Amino acid sequence: MEIHEWMLNYTRQTEWIDRRGLILWIAFYTGGLGGGLYLVSVFFNSIWGMFISWLIIAVLKGGAHLLYLGKPQRFWRIITRPQSSWLARGFIFVMLFVIFGAIQLMLSYWLPDTAGEMVFKVLTGITALVVAVYTGFVLNTVKAVPFWNSSLLPLLFVLCGILGGFGISVLIALNDGNIDLATAEAGSRWLLLANALLIAIYLWRAAKREATGKQSVMEQIRGSSAPIFWIGIVVMGIIIPLVIAFTSYAVAEMPPAVLVFGVACEVIGGLALRYCVLKAGAYSPLVARSEQQ
Amino acid sequence: MVVDLRKCVRCYACIAACRIEHFLPIGVSWPRLVAMETGGEHPTVSTYSVRCNQCHDAPCVEVCPTGATQLRDDGIVYVDQDKCVGCRYCVIACPYQNRTFLSKDKDKGFFPGRVVTDFEKAGKELYPHTHGTTEKCNFCMERIDAGLARGLKPGIDRDATPACVNTCPAQALTFGDLDDPDSEVSRLIRENQGFQLHPEYDTDPSVYFIDGKIGVSDEPSETSTKEEEPVLA
Repeated sequence: MEIHEWMLNYTRQTEWIDRRGLILWIAFYTGGLGGGLYLVSVFFNSIWGMFISWLIIAVLKGGAHLLYLGKPQRFWRIITRPQSSWLARGFIFVMLFVIFGAIQLMLSYWLPDTAGEMVFKVLTGITALVVAVYTGFVLNTVKAVPFWNSSLLPLLFVLCGILGGFGISVLIALNDGNIDLATAEAGSRWLLLANALLIAIYLWRAAKREATGKQSVMEQIRGSSAPIFWIGIVVMGIIIPLVIAFTSYAVAEMPPAVLVFGVACEVIGGLALRYCVLKAGAYSPLVARSEQQ
Repeated sequence: MVVDLRKCVRCYACIAACRIEHFLPIGVSWPRLVAMETGGEHPTVSTYSVRCNQCHDAPCVEVCPTGATQLRDDGIVYVDQDKCVGCRYCVIACPYQNRTFLSKDKDKGFFPGRVVTDFEKAGKELYPHTHGTTEKCNFCMERIDAGLARGLKPGIDRDATPACVNTCPAQALTFGDLDDPDSEVSRLIRENQGFQLHPEYDTDPSVYFIDGKIGVSDEPSETSTKEEEPVLA
C-alpha cells in the first residue's frame, strides 16, 4: 500500500511540475513570452519580432505541449470542449495564432501596408493576447489549489509575458531589427516595476486567502522553493533588470553586453515565476480538521 | 455511496476487491484507505475509505478538454480512455486527488522482468488499461449496467452493486440511489448526519461519510494524525 500523504497533509501538485511536468512549465512560459513578444512587435511594427514570436509559440510551446501529452497522437481532440475547458480554449487560440500569424507574416513580407495585412495583424494580435493570458485562467479555475485560485494570476502571467516581449525586443533592437531601443528599454523599465508590485500583491492576497494558500506562500519564501523565488524571481527577475534599466535611463548609452545580460535575467525571472507558481500549488488535506474531531 | 466510518475495520478488502474486479496495475489503486489517531493519551483510530466521489458538479468533467471525462445521468463520472489525451488537467482539478495518470512506471507488472501472471494476462484481455491516460473509480459501472439490463437493483442485488460494497465484511459501505428518499443510503445520511468531504468546493460529492461524531458534540478535541501501516500490496 502506498503512503498517501495527501489525505492528511497539505500536498503540492506534482503532475504539472515534477519530472515530465517540467515540459509543461516550459510550454506555459513560452506561451506568455511568445504572445507578449508578438504584441510588442506589432507595437514596433517589427517583422523580425513577429516572426520570432511565431516560432516560439508554434515550435517551442506547441512542441512542448505535444511532448507532454500522454497520447500526443490524439491532440486534435483537445479542441472539442471549449465551452468549459480553458485548456481547449487555449489550444484553439494557439492554432489560430499559428494560422493567422503565418498569413500575416507572408502579407507583411510580400504585401506590406495593405488592408489584408492590417486585418491579420489585428486577428493575430487578439490571438496572441489570449495565448499569453490563457495559462493564467487554466490555473486560476482550479479551485482545489487555493494559491492559483486568484483573479490576479492571468494578469500576472500576461504582464510577465509582455515584459519578456520587451526584453526580447531589446535584443532585436541591438541587432537593428526595426525597433527603437530607447522605447523598448522604457517599456521594460515600467513593466518591471508593475510586475514587481503585482507579484507582491499576489503573494499577499494568496497568504490571506486560506490556510492552504498561506502554506503555499510560506513554501515559496521560506521552503524548498525559496532559493528559486529569491534568486530567480527577486534578484534576477526584478532587481538586476531594474538596476540596469534605471542605470540606462541615467547613462546615455549602456554597453550592449550589459543589456543582453539584463534581458537574460528577465527571461530567467519569468521562468522562475512560472516554476514557483506551479511548484507551490498545494491541496488542502483530504480530511478536514472539523471532520476529524 | 455511504461509508460508515464506525464500522470499517481497515481490512483492505475493498481495495483488494477493486484490484481484482478491474485488474488494476500494481501502481494504481482506485479506492484508498487512510487511518488516523484522534485524541491524546488514549487515542482512537478513525479510518477513511476514500475513492472518486462521483461529484455532481465535478471539476474534472468541467476542465477536461476532450470530453473524455463524462457525467452519466445516474451520477457516475467516468473516463472514456479512447478519448483521453493524457493532459492531466483533471488530475490537477480534483480536490480529492482521486485520479491517477497511468504511466508505464505504474504498470511494471507484479514481478517486473520475471513473469507475467495469469491474472495480468487475463486483465489485458478483459479490462485493458491504457498507458498515457487518466483513470479512477467508476463505481463498477459495468456491473451496474449489466445488472440493470437484467432488471436488478443497484445496492440491493449483488450483481448490480460495486465490488467493494459487496466485499466489505463489516458492511461499512452502502450503495444506492441518493435521489430516492426511501433508499437505504438516503436513510443512513438523514439519520446519521452523513457528510461530504470538502463541501466548500461546491462539487456535491455522491460519497457520504458517517462517523457518529458530527453533530453529537461541539466540543473540540485534540487531534493528531498518523498513516496506517501498509498491509497489502
